Amino acid sequence: MNDSKLVNVTINGVPLQVPKGERIIESARRAGIDIPYFCYHPRLSMENGANCRMCLVEMAMPRTGPDGTVTLAKHPKPQTACSLPADEGMVVETETEAIVKARRGVLEFLLINHPLDCPVCDRGGECPLQNNTLHYGAGASRYIEAKRHYPKAYPLSEHVVLDRERCIQCARCTRFTQDISGDAQLDFLKRGADTQIGTFNAAAFSSLFSGNTIEICPVGALTSRDYRFRARPWDLATQKSICTECSNGCSIKLDHRDGLVLRVNGRVNEAVNEEWTCDRGKFGLPASISGERLTAPLLRDGDRFREVTWDVALGVVAEKLQAAGKQAAVLAGSKLANEDLYALQALCRGGLGSVRYDYRMGTQSSEARDAAAMLFGPNPAPTGIAGLEASPWTLVVGSDLAVEHPIVFLRLRKSWRFGKSKALEMVSSSAPANTHVGAFAWSSVRYADRGLPESLRSACSLLLAEMPGLTATPEIRAWAATGTPPADDTASRRMATALSTGPGTILVGEGALSGPDWREVLVALGHLAGLTGSTGSVNRLVSGCNDRGAEALGFGDWQPGTAGILAGAASGATPALWIAGADPVTQYHDPQVAIAALEQASFVVVSDIKLTATARMADVVLPSCSVAERDGTLTNVEGRVQRFWKAFEPRGSASPDWLIAARLLQRLGKPSVWFGWQDVLADMRSHVAAFGGVSLDALEKDGAMLVAPQVVD
Amino acid sequence: MAELQVLLQHRNVPGIDGIDVYESHGGYAGLRAALGKERQAVIDEVKASGLRGRGGAGFPTWIKWNGLPKSGSAQHYLLCNADEGEPGTFKDRELLLKLPHMVVEGMAIAAYATRSANGFVYVRGEFVESATQLRKAIDQAYRRGYLGRNILGRSDFCFDLHIHTGAGSYECGEETALMSSLMGERGQPRLKPPHGPLPVVSGVWGSPTLINNVETYACVPHILTHGGAWYAAMGTQRSPGTKIFSVSGHVARPGNYEIELGTPLTELIELAGGVVGGALKAVIPGGSSVPILPAEKCAGVTLDYEGCQAAGTMLGSGGFMVFNDKTDIVALMRRTAQFYAHESCGKCTPCREGTRWISRVLDRITAGAGRMEDIDLLLSICDQIDGRSYCPLGDAASWPIRAGIRNFRHEFEHWVRHGSSPIPGFVPPVRSHGPGPVPGRQE
Repeated sequence: MNDSKLVNVTINGVPLQVPKGERIIESARRAGIDIPYFCYHPRLSMENGANCRMCLVEMAMPRTGPDGTVTLAKHPKPQTACSLPADEGMVVETETEAIVKARRGVLEFLLINHPLDCPVCDRGGECPLQNNTLHYGAGASRYIEAKRHYPKAYPLSEHVVLDRERCIQCARCTRFTQDISGDAQLDFLKRGADTQIGTFNAAAFSSLFSGNTIEICPVGALTSRDYRFRARPWDLATQKSICTECSNGCSIKLDHRDGLVLRVNGRVNEAVNEEWTCDRGKFGLPASISGERLTAPLLRDGDRFREVTWDVALGVVAEKLQAAGKQAAVLAGSKLANEDLYALQALCRGGLGSVRYDYRMGTQSSEARDAAAMLFGPNPAPTGIAGLEASPWTLVVGSDLAVEHPIVFLRLRKSWRFGKSKALEMVSSSAPANTHVGAFAWSSVRYADRGLPESLRSACSLLLAEMPGLTATPEIRAWAATGTPPADDTASRRMATALSTGPGTILVGEGALSGPDWREVLVALGHLAGLTGSTGSVNRLVSGCNDRGAEALGFGDWQPGTAGILAGAASGATPALWIAGADPVTQYHDPQVAIAALEQASFVVVSDIKLTATARMADVVLPSCSVAERDGTLTNVEGRVQRFWKAFEPRGSASPDWLIAARLLQRLGKPSVWFGWQDVLADMRSHVAAFGGVSLDALEKDGAMLVAPQVVD
Repeated sequence: MAELQVLLQHRNVPGIDGIDVYESHGGYAGLRAALGKERQAVIDEVKASGLRGRGGAGFPTWIKWNGLPKSGSAQHYLLCNADEGEPGTFKDRELLLKLPHMVVEGMAIAAYATRSANGFVYVRGEFVESATQLRKAIDQAYRRGYLGRNILGRSDFCFDLHIHTGAGSYECGEETALMSSLMGERGQPRLKPPHGPLPVVSGVWGSPTLINNVETYACVPHILTHGGAWYAAMGTQRSPGTKIFSVSGHVARPGNYEIELGTPLTELIELAGGVVGGALKAVIPGGSSVPILPAEKCAGVTLDYEGCQAAGTMLGSGGFMVFNDKTDIVALMRRTAQFYAHESCGKCTPCREGTRWISRVLDRITAGAGRMEDIDLLLSICDQIDGRSYCPLGDAASWPIRAGIRNFRHEFEHWVRHGSSPIPGFVPPVRSHGPGPVPGRQE
């Protein structure tokens, strides 16, 4: 509705120039005029909004009479500012007597059936209904009839609990599931004063993004199973952070108390998550860093551990590493910060002369990674997350996007929702009947037993048939013509029509290049990208939280990689192994290999926040810090380096991995000059070209992009 | 003093619901006349007739018709609002039951004028017989070439007409809610100007959409057959033509009466056989949502849009309800309030919460537990709903209560003082309401 044309509007006598069609509530907000609301949300559709009636304003428009005189014609009814589009000459009043009365009336109506159990309500203290009542409400209620009653604590899902008495029917949650997550699991049931939200047939609210509805609920109707009754908002401290549960790197807020993260809320970052989170991050992050934590170094004593001082522990580790020298190896976990990874590789290369450091737990080989970089350029994700909005089509292969990359998925869906992009996907026939992307995809092709490479080849073949004039070498035409003939199904043909519209974006999940057929996949992807002019917008999506940072810092460049490191540990070729924040026993694609290697290894030191299955097999265990207990930076899937802030002190004597590495370097006689995480970052910026553009200023805002993914000395 | 029957003239002719008898009584002449004209000329004819929408608001019909795009390839939809749910109104039901072809013909003419290739009649779900009659009529019209492809041999005119039955919601008679419901969504109203586009710009499925009442469409064939000027000569200057009033209540012969607009209100009561069971106490002239008119204010009131407005009420949809002096107005208001509380869609705060509150207060008063301040409380609740709700249902719920108190405050005060009805021997029905059983899991 917005266009670039500016119009003159007057709000409370203040003349403003605003884009034509901008909702008056936004114009007023920018002018510093507060208009109260409950149901309005700028990211939710207007069609089912404008229902709380709290933002009523008086509105007049100029009208030209028959004699040419212009008079101001006041609209007979007050209008909702949230849905009122700005127009030339519009005059708005937000504080007239009639409006004050109208707001008081709306608040009285909202409160007659509201339970007023604020003292035990999670929202109490941060509740729009409380706040608006304080500012705009009447002192007393005239309602003496019986209130609506429902059983309390209706479980919508394992995460979300509904209190129907508190609900004010604002339709924010229902619109979220319809507009944003797209699963449309919440809707209204019944009507009139009996209206309540619910799921179809009382099925579980199984959305991957259900937690967002708790955040946008303007009352305490939707609450979190984990957070319910655990804190009062004013007892919580809030710290800015980055979610570590996947590679998308959502900006989040950690609400914490007494060294515990009690809940995770989204933080606005238009470049990444806008303001949303996924349930894996929102509920998974607090769980992953709470519970039984390591607080002191442990040294193996037979089949038990005994607590030792850092001095003793580091002494043992330094001695073993030094003895191993360039045979020593490091396995890094995907949640380690850039600073940790930089310090670890500095320890390996500078301190020990070893190049044996890796982060990969999957089956993707270095060869596949390097070949992809050769084909599609050194930047693994040139399009970026927000860039998807401008892409005319986006093809997803090898990834259940909503599960693996939830925020990338939301952005893809948004770009489809506003009619800007066609979503295409190729999925294996074993995928569920209704894939998440398939729900809105222009075309969803199932590759049955043909496999992904053949499916891609079919797409090329159909594309060439669709566009006979396409520039293609005879080799490519011949390649496209051989193999399994293209399936003559509508989905494939439909996909070809989208691909024929010009360059688009290809998202390649980690799975696509992890199988034994990765060469065929790469060849086919290369041809498809070439034919559609999309070679520069093929995005390889890494899965682990900081896998992009690890890649940029040279992890995984050593050829035998993780497999070689584990084999060395088993054979004695790797006499000392440091596993930092990783748990190969549960994460390595072949756990038996990892377990066997650890059983036979001569020396293993594990640093982690918890006593993992891997740590239990170690000789020395060092306590490290979670994302909440330290500062640092992480690199997300699109190569955005983002800062996270320390929320509270580490447990016991736990220490971030970069500091452990620094102390080991000192013991190895090669002291670093790192006194704080910024010193590591500064070193990294001057030594690693990829991080050259990461300024502290940018880190305070939306983060900074990697410039080139190679380690340069 | 008599009816002036245009629409209802042949309603009692045996077989008029069939296409042969309908044609022998001048049926489909209007469509033929329309097809002999340019599309714009048809709209001009409707303009000349001065026809105003018969659904209740009285909006000039031709302006809507003229608002649809006149060029371009966009799909246009033509909707007929047959979700007649206003208490006291039953004219559309009879039109569809007895004269379904008149509605089909009117829609075909509108489709031609507005270049619409698809039409839907949204029939109130309870009107099973009316929908069955309409189904028969549509099938016959297809066979005669009045619907379908190349209508009457015109290669530039195709029109398919569908029936969609509602599921029992008063709110779906509101035109934007009707469109939501037709599209398979929850029957709730949509944004209107200045917040969103008019239906003629973007209605169902984002396409230009024309929506008119059953009776409005039924007027159209006559206007095209006899000319707009002929139609405009009937009624008053600003409210031309005839209107069907559904007369009910304490009269000797309740039923549908078609009269010229501008007919004195008292004449309509006499047409229906006069008041029975007592003297006239009050009239609700336009359906349950319009303000009640006490007997002493009925004299001199004419039944046209302006005349009703001058008397402090509205013509509405023509649901004309007559009450004798044995009527307990407080009980009437309570029943009315229950209706609106039951039918509120729940979308917006004032209507959702306010209608239930009014209903609860009136329950309490008629249970003998009223307080004197409840009367002003009711007025205050009405003020808090009126003009602030999302759609006119909130207004419709508040007007009758306010008018009831304004005109019959003494009866409310009697209930409060004595805990019983001012009508000797009257005991209001007991009705308990509140949230029904909650579907789904419970803890």
